[in-house]
This record gives sequence, structure tokens and C-alpha cells, in this order.
Amino acid sequence: MALSSTTATAAAASFVSGHRGGCSRPSLSSPSFVSAFPRAVAARTRAPPAPARSAAMTVRAQAAGKKSVLIVNTNSGGHAVIGFYLAKDLLAAGHSVTVLTVGDAASDKMNKPPFSRFSELTSAGARTVWGDPSDVGAAVGGGGAAFDVVVDNNGKDLDAVKPVADWAKAAGAGQFLFVSSAGIYTPTDELPHVEGDAVKESAGHVGVEKYIAGEFGNWASFRPQYMIGSGNNKDCEEWFFDRIVRGRAVPIPGSGMQLTNITHVRDLASMLALAVENPGAAAGKIFNCVSDRAVTFNGLVKMCAAAAGAEPNIVYYDPAAVGVDAKKAFPFRNMHFYAEPRAAKEALGWTSTTNLPEDLKERFAEYASSGRGEKEMSFDLDDKILSA
Amino acid sequence: MAATVSLKSSLLLPSPISDFSGASLSISSQTRRRSWQPRGARMQVAASADSKNILVMGGTRFIGVFLSRLLVKEGHQVTLFTRGKAPITQQLPGESDAEYAEFSSKVLHLKGDRQDFDFVKTSLSAKGFDVVYDINGREAVEVAPILDALPNLEQYIYCSSAGVYLKSDLLPHFETDAVDPKSRHKGKLETESLLESRDVNWTSIRPVYIYGPLNYNPVEEWFFHRLKAGRPIPVPGAGNQITQLGHVKDLATAFGLVLGNPKASKQVFNISGAKYVTFDGLARACAKAGGFPEPEIVHYNPKDFDFGKKKAFPFRDQHFFASIEKATSELGCTPEYDLVEGLTDSYNLDFGRGTFRKEADFTTDDMILGKKLVSV
Repeated sequence: MALSSTTATAAAASFVSGHRGGCSRPSLSSPSFVSAFPRAVAARTRAPPAPARSAAMTVRAQAAGKKSVLIVNTNSGGHAVIGFYLAKDLLAAGHSVTVLTVGDAASDKMNKPPFSRFSELTSAGARTVWGDPSDVGAAVGGGGAAFDVVVDNNGKDLDAVKPVADWAKAAGAGQFLFVSSAGIYTPTDELPHVEGDAVKESAGHVGVEKYIAGEFGNWASFRPQYMIGSGNNKDCEEWFFDRIVRGRAVPIPGSGMQLTNITHVRDLASMLALAVENPGAAAGKIFNCVSDRAVTFNGLVKMCAAAAGAEPNIVYYDPAAVGVDAKKAFPFRNMHFYAEPRAAKEALGWTSTTNLPEDLKERFAEYASSGRGEKEMSFDLDDKILSA
Repeated sequence: MAATVSLKSSLLLPSPISDFSGASLSISSQTRRRSWQPRGARMQVAASADSKNILVMGGTRFIGVFLSRLLVKEGHQVTLFTRGKAPITQQLPGESDAEYAEFSSKVLHLKGDRQDFDFVKTSLSAKGFDVVYDINGREAVEVAPILDALPNLEQYIYCSSAGVYLKSDLLPHFETDAVDPKSRHKGKLETESLLESRDVNWTSIRPVYIYGPLNYNPVEEWFFHRLKAGRPIPVPGAGNQITQLGHVKDLATAFGLVLGNPKASKQVFNISGAKYVTFDGLARACAKAGGFPEPEIVHYNPKDFDFGKKKAFPFRDQHFFASIEKATSELGCTPEYDLVEGLTDSYNLDFGRGTFRKEADFTTDDMILGKKLVSV
């Protein structure tokens, strides 16, 4: 035994003092690695978090009452479709829904989806009104029943949202939900963006989040990225289909390895709806409103091509070298832009259903039947890139 | 009592030399089994609040070094099955003499070659372990004799690898994802299949890249060598490939959490860090950890070079990361170390003290940098 102790010690000394150089043992003070193990033992004593699903179901059973929900909805852009799907989900669950679309019912913007499909909402019992978010009361009519929940799916800064929030508070809304943006996260070497990570303080959405956190006992903010889904007001997959069906190369900036989140809008709606139905679980929280998978630019092209029954044809380029603005030449941020929906899974028991390969097939079917593939289109920026 | 260390350990001798050097010790340690309680509550998640008779296949090199300490501290009887080539125990940097003495006096050694399946079967069935942690198993054939020898085994805990996942454009990898039967790690897959097919309570852990003090895979060490030498860091491609590192102590903790845990029964868990990192970002994180200035990173196209058998970069040239959400939500397992903290721990306890496993080799760097100078 003495022999083995000596041997062990000798081995230890040679290990610690350096591989072969025999240099003197440095006297760096450092925390004992074994002190990590009280943490390991403590980790065992920490009960695992209560499974969110059962927590959500318990809450749902308690809050069986139906809600009156007001969705203040943008009249254009990528977020417009979120309010449309959310309204449908809430109506299907038996809640009462009013959609206040910004602007004028008669404006040209209302000829585009999802607004052009509002009959689907009204036939399901929704009330659709138009007006100015700075005077919600006028738009929804005074003297009406109070709303339990107000969702602002319109503003990007405090100028636009403050009047809505102030009105909601004065009108006694119990819960205020804000559709923010994952674009506010500060870019970082370590991914993904997780709720609680640093955000750009100057961003309009950040100002809104801070304000509503101060104003409402029960608030939540949802940070989406890009979405696909029938009724979308903004091109997403169409940009790729336009090129693929015309046999054109798809120009990709950089390496094509950039990761982004493309989520089916039904997932965004289901997350918001869960928050409406589980206000306690959602209160005071930020939720990345995205699917639980990211996709590379390369992967997205391959999936769009597969959905179209075509072979992918990618041409890589350096925007600076070619002299194009990547923001105009490509539909997504030219960088990793990748968030994960960890808070929604943990706090709301939410699950992601987006399945890009399958969802893109459905998207292509709609694209193909729309006639867009036969329309004359110019590809000036593409041509500039491809000829460089 | 210290485990015996064979002085002939440098010779790989055939099975007659494999012996039961631990056997004479095990009886006395059994009488002590319930007398020692670790500090701190032992309110365990699972039913097994009793100390277990645990066999660790391996355990003297990296993961097992930390895992065995954790298990001993929790009051289990731990036997390491190794050929005895490396010292059975060694005092680690930062470990006090008292802590080391406590550990090394308790851990047992079963000397043998796990490729000697007959010996494995006879020695293990003679001893009768409750739980096996298989840290160094590569092929299914190595595992079968262990299962044969221990029909009443309570749990077989296997260190697999996230390398089994089929490469995908949709990430992160989840435990339910497709696996690649042709991957370099197909032995791990075949082992998982074997465990699934046998009537044994198994758990499989799939780490990504493991790092921390004593790492024998030059992961962080590769960066530290270059940073110390003040050399630029050559990174293939755009440097935005995303990888994931998990600290060895967090991995050991995870291994500890699945012990006797019904939620781990016949389950696979990805275990790694909570966040992922780009190649360029990792170079910067290593610099921060070691107190080096921000590194110069040089990108290159690997296709422009023939490095022969040498590895020019320690990571696979692709995105490679896995979600640890299942372990977090089902086991309550969250990593303690974030990337810079973990790299700092590794630096302070290992490279920063002048220790490392592989000598610096800048041959491929010079090829890359030389060509860069020429093309500029």
C-alpha cells in the first residue's frame, strides 16, 4: 500500500509538473475542481422543474372561462398574418375576438392577404374594425364590454404602442401581449438567442417591452423571426420559388451556412393562444416566437427546390465584392439569426410543429396554383450578381 | 486503502496477468459501505437512495476521472476496470491532498483488458455489480459480455456520442433525429441498438465536444497553443460554422443524475453546453479564457491544401450541435459552466499551468499561412 501511494504520488507529481519538461509546479491558486461536486450533489437535490405541460393543463382547467380578446393588427408586412391565425385559434377555442386593423377598411392594402380573407374571421364570429391605434376607444366603440386581453401586433416602437397600452390599462384589460421581434437581440458569437440575452437598447421594441413591463401586472412579449403560411402579407419562400420555377440560379450571399428560423405562422399563433389561456404561466415573460429548428440558407434552397420538384442551383457571392446591398438582394439577414423557443416550451408547455420540408410542399402547391410562377418578373439584382 | 497500481502497466499482457487485485480490498470496503455519507443532502430524485456497487469501464483518463470522484463522494462503491496502463488515480490540479487521499483510498481497481471477453465475463460475474458506467466502449461486441455477466444489472449507462446523428440542414439535433449508420461512430449506434434489444435498463448519453482540464482530445488545447505562441488562428471556411462544447464536469454531473433515475430508463440524452458557438467565436472565447489579446483569425479554403494525415483544425468542418432540452426538462440537468467560464476553468487547471497532452504542431498552420502570404 505504501508502494502504491508513492507510485500514485509520483505519477501525480509528474502529471502536474508538466508533460516532460520537469518545470517547477506553479503556485496558481484556483478553485478546487472538486468544489464543483457539491454543486453536482446539489444538482441532484434540486427537483427538476415541474413538467410544463401538466402545469399548463392544470391552469387551463382552472381558467376554463372564455376571454374577450382585442388584437390590434398591422395593415402590412410580415406580422400581419400572425393576428389572422391567432384570431382563428382563439375563435376555435370559443373566445370572443375583435380585430382592429390599422388604417382604413377601404384602403388598397386590404386587397392583400390576410385582410382579403377576413370573411373567414367574421364567419367564425370575430368582429373586425378599422382605426387608429392612437384612439383604440373610437375604433372599438365606447361603452362596449371590456376586453380581458389586448394583443398589440402592430407597433414597433413606443410611439405606436403607448397609446394602445395606455388605453388597455385604462379600460381594465387584465393581460397585455406584445408582438415584438427577435431582431432586437445583440449579435453574438454564441448562439442561439435565448430569452434574457442582451438586446439592442436603442431598438423601438425594447422601449415597448420595458414600458409594458412597468404598466401591466400581466404582460408578455413575443419575439418572432421569419414566417411562412397561407395568407402571409410578405414574401418569404416565394422569393426562392420565383427563381426555381424559372430555372434561375438562386444567389446566396456568403457560404450559405448562415442559420435562420423560418416558422409556420400556426406555431406563432399557438404560442400566443397558450399565453391567453394560461395568463399566470405567461405573466412577465419574454418568449422567442420561433420554431425549435433553425435552417441554413443552403438547406432552405434545397427544401424549396425539393418542394418544387426541381434541382437546387445555388450561386454564392460576396455582396461587397459584387457591389450589391445584401438587404435588397436577399430576403433574410446575411448572418446567423437564430433564436430558440426555450421559454415557451418550459413555461407554457408549447410544442413546435413546423416541419419545413413538409410545410414547403404545401406552400409550393399554393404558389403553383396562384399563377405567380408564370408572371413576368425582373431579376435585376440577381442578374448583376450572376454576371459579376 | 489505495487501489493497487500495477508497475507492469506499460506492458499490454494477455489475460493470465489480468487479476482481481481489487478483490481483497472489496470485502473490507463493503463493510464500510454504509458508514460514509457525503456532505450535503442526498435527497435523490430516484428511488435508489442506497449506495451502489458501481463498475466504471475506463475512468482513469478524462470523463471517468471526474465521474468516479462524484460517485465516490455520493457514497457509492466504485471500481474502475482498466488495463492499468495509466495510474488508477492521480491527484488533480486544484484537488487538495485531503480530497485526493479520500478519493484514492476508496476507489477500487479491476485490472483487465475489456477486449478479453472471457475475462470480462468471468471477473464481472464473480463480483456482481449493481450499475455499469461504460465510458470507453466503442463496439457492441465489447458490451455483450458485460451484459451476460450481470443478469441482475440495475442500469447500464453508456457514453455514446452526438456523432451518430445524420448530418442535417435543420438544427439542432434532437434525440429523436435520424442517425447515420455509416458514421465514424457507428459502433456507438450498434451498442445502443444492442442495449435496446437486451432486457436491461439502459441509458445512453450523447455528448458533443467535451472540454475541460485533462482533455486528451486537443480541443481547447489546440487554440491555447496558438494563442500562447502569439500565432494567428487558421479557421477553415467562413468561420461561422457552429459547434458546441460541454464541460467535462457538467457531463459527469449529468452521468450522476441518470443513476437510478426512472426518467432515464431506456432513454437517450444529448449532454453538452447550453449554447452553441461559431468557430471564430470559439477562438475569441479561448483568448478570453487565457487572458490573451483578441486573436488574429485567418480563414482558408481546406480544398486548397493537402494536409496528408494531419488535422488542420480540431472540429468537423460543418455545423454540429445538439439540443440539451430533453435532459434539462426531464432530469433537471442544467450545465453549470458557460463557455468562457468553462474554458477559463480548463485553462487555469491545465494548460495555464504548463500541462497539455499533445505538443504544439504548427505544420499545417505554416502551410496555410505561407500560401496566404504568397497569394497576398
